[in-house]
Amino acid sequence: MRAWILRRQGRDAETVVLRRGRIYILPTQLGVAYAAMVFAMLVGGLNYGNNLGLAFAFLLAGVGLTAMHHCHGTLEGLALGLHTTESAFVGRRVAFRILLANASVAQRARVEISSDDARAAPADLDAGATVESVLTIAAARRGPVPLTRYEVSTRHPLGLFRAWAVIHPDYRAIAWPHPAPRGRSPPAVETDTGGAQDRARGDEDFVGLKPFQFGDPLHRIAWKSYARGNGLHAKQFAGTDVTSYVFDWDSLAGLAAEARLSQMCRWVIDAHDRGEAYGIRLPGTTIAPNVGRAHREHCLTALAVFEVPAGHA
Amino acid sequence: MPEQTSIAMRGLGWVLAAMGVALLAHVRQLPAWASVSLLVAASWRYAAAQRGWALPPRWVRTLAAISALLFVLAVFRTVNGVQAGTALLAMMAAVKLLETRTERDLTVLVFIAYFLLYAALLRDQGITRLPLLLAGAFVATAALHRVHGGAAGGAPVTGLRRTAALTWPALPLALLLFVLFPRLPGPFWGVAVGQSSRTGLNDEIMLGDVSDLSVSGAVAFRVRFDGPIPPPAQRYWRGPVLHEFDGRRWRRPLAQSFPQQSVTWIGAPVDYQITLEAHDRPWILALDLPAAWAEREARSTYDFQLVARQLITRVTSFRLRSYPAYVAGVELPTSLRNRDLQLPADGNPRTLALGRELARRHADPTAIAGELLRKFRNEEYHYTLDPPRLAENAVDEFLFDTRSGFCEHYAAAFTMAMRAAGVPARIVTGYQGGEFNPLGGYLLVRQSDAHAWSEIWVAGRGWLRVDPTAAVAPDRIERGITASFADAPTLTRIWEGSRLVGQAQLVWDYVNDFWNERVVRFDERLQFSLLQRLGVDAPDWRTLGLGLTVVLGAFFIGLSAWLAWTYRPPERDWPERLHGQAAARLARRGVTRRPAEGPVDYLHRAMAHCPDLRLDLEAIRELYVALRYGPAPANEDLQRLKYKVGRLRP
Repeated sequence: MRAWILRRQGRDAETVVLRRGRIYILPTQLGVAYAAMVFAMLVGGLNYGNNLGLAFAFLLAGVGLTAMHHCHGTLEGLALGLHTTESAFVGRRVAFRILLANASVAQRARVEISSDDARAAPADLDAGATVESVLTIAAARRGPVPLTRYEVSTRHPLGLFRAWAVIHPDYRAIAWPHPAPRGRSPPAVETDTGGAQDRARGDEDFVGLKPFQFGDPLHRIAWKSYARGNGLHAKQFAGTDVTSYVFDWDSLAGLAAEARLSQMCRWVIDAHDRGEAYGIRLPGTTIAPNVGRAHREHCLTALAVFEVPAGHA
Repeated sequence: MPEQTSIAMRGLGWVLAAMGVALLAHVRQLPAWASVSLLVAASWRYAAAQRGWALPPRWVRTLAAISALLFVLAVFRTVNGVQAGTALLAMMAAVKLLETRTERDLTVLVFIAYFLLYAALLRDQGITRLPLLLAGAFVATAALHRVHGGAAGGAPVTGLRRTAALTWPALPLALLLFVLFPRLPGPFWGVAVGQSSRTGLNDEIMLGDVSDLSVSGAVAFRVRFDGPIPPPAQRYWRGPVLHEFDGRRWRRPLAQSFPQQSVTWIGAPVDYQITLEAHDRPWILALDLPAAWAEREARSTYDFQLVARQLITRVTSFRLRSYPAYVAGVELPTSLRNRDLQLPADGNPRTLALGRELARRHADPTAIAGELLRKFRNEEYHYTLDPPRLAENAVDEFLFDTRSGFCEHYAAAFTMAMRAAGVPARIVTGYQGGEFNPLGGYLLVRQSDAHAWSEIWVAGRGWLRVDPTAAVAPDRIERGITASFADAPTLTRIWEGSRLVGQAQLVWDYVNDFWNERVVRFDERLQFSLLQRLGVDAPDWRTLGLGLTVVLGAFFIGLSAWLAWTYRPPERDWPERLHGQAAARLARRGVTRRPAEGPVDYLHRAMAHCPDLRLDLEAIRELYVALRYGPAPANEDLQRLKYKVGRLRP
């Protein structure tokens, strides 16, 4: 069934607009019970020759069929696309933020998305609204966490039918290595006196305050200034003597491969929190020292997707 | 946890409302204890939801369920049949309310409400049920939508509007299915009607009892004559014939093993169609005396009563032929003669003496009858629907003391006196009279037209009808039951005397008759004749199948179109529309607009993706921005944009 649907539809582009051909619909348990009830009324009406009873059965059958169309219509024309993925450490949950866009003049109620491992709460999409629905998946193993199949479904309006469509995206979030406990300090300190650093990244002499930006290390926040009600600022230092670390895979000889990655992961987190510049060196991959959130993610992702060379297991 | 409960219980109010409408449909027939149980359970559950009370533990609920079942069994001795089934359903709904906490529970309650509404239709198919049916279906569906529809069902008005959107397409579909769905000749299994609560003729007369039939204006049956309508004096509608008399009570014997008696018809026949309201008995009230009928529908008894082969549990009609003039039963078998001479060993001595006295004076049975009728006419006898109570020797008391009563009293006294005089005699019950409805061209006979008369057997002439009531109140026979009380100006009479009210009653009855004839009795015959009138030459089941297919197909297409319109995109202005056209063309190159992407960002991405279109897209972007955000959008810019988009060939 799954393979058949995949063959039929193929992989999906980044944005999907649900068309008639890819929306499936089946009665729910309640729908089956409802149909059985209407059928019993029909048979009873025929048996007793009770025309008004028959009319009642036909009326309910009509309501059921109308509800079926409404259920289908709730999905038809709905647009879906990925907003962002959120990576996480192993043991936490990665998130896929999926946008549901209703470009029509009517409300689409109780639309929910689900995958094999996750289910998002049903969302009501007002006319013209775009709503974000989040699928979170437990990050069990280091490396990419793909989302290659999810369903968007609804039981609106009477719960008698479930209409659904299968989306085959090519989304991936990253499960970063589980950080090792604190304790082991980075082995080597490399001093880089090159001119590549600008003055903002020195930490010798205090030169002033600048408005806080995400990515600034927490320990540089000018808490006194914040307490005076001046808003959040970061302290700026100047200096040419910049200390930066390079965390080296080879320096952790003696540890198992995954333990080495965990340890490097811990160092990266701590160095980032302290506001220090750092880089990593893995067999085949080297990332030059730098600072900032993007750099942190870059390093963590490199650790996450690192393939342990043969002989290091 | 309470949060969760309140979300699940979102539809409770609506579900209770649906249950209320369903209960309303049954309130007249359902035993009071069932209605009250359901009302109490509903009120309690609503209060519990409002105040956050805990639901009763499992053992209480189980106990309630078992005792409800046992109670219904104890009262009805069965759970089969409409009455017991309805009561059981209502009690189960009450028990279910005690444990209602999930969406599924609420749904079960809605289904019970649907079923209760349906059961109400099994009992009564009158036109007054129609609004109840529609309102009930609507409210129950609204409840279902409230339970399952998400926030859409939030505000009551929105919820109702959405429910209307769900129900109105069902109306034309239901109408067409009703017309086209094949009607199978049922029933497939036995019809359990349970205890009857319908009014109708009984097969016994108890002197001194109050007759409720005489005061009921309910319709008994309607008759359409092929030819002219027989005069009032001939409108005797024959029901059960009573032979057994125990001093107070006249009964129809259970054993009916007498040979059929011969009849010679005289004069012209009367052909007609009689449509009987449901009365849960098999009697067909044929015009005295029925001569021809459909054998598979009815049979005639030895005493010329027409009996249907099934109980008449719904509006049913028969085509019959009767002869108002006849000579019936000239040969009287001894067994039958003895039965119709039977008198209780003791009791009513004065009537017995009167009979014997008359027999001494006259040899001719008709002379005896004439003497008795003269007695009724000349002495102080009164016709009243509110006679005094009678005790042990009921006939004696009536005939010699109270001297006032209605048709049953006169027929009973007359018949007993004739038997005492040695003349075989019996009571015939049925209806007499009827009111012509000029709108519908039919004769309407009400329960209040119920009547009883006598038949005496005369050698050489057979059974003769004698109506002793006619001797006391000739108007009763000539002008109907209301006319016989012309001297009593009650409020009811003044009300009914009003011309306007009379006309309104006629119109209302015509509507009811139309409903009965065209809707309630709609069957294969009417179905095919309707199709023929619509232009189908020889309709058969294939016509119906084709019709159903077409109707369902049209329904699906129409509904899809309507939904497509419901979920249409908003109207866009020209720049927006042209941008959309450009996007549609670019989508062929794999650049689809993302849900949260702005129009300009999208064009930039398209430029990066399709370098060959860069110049065109650049122009489109500039024009779009100028038209959209520029200070004075120029018409020529719009024309240029149209041209550019039209020329875009990815």
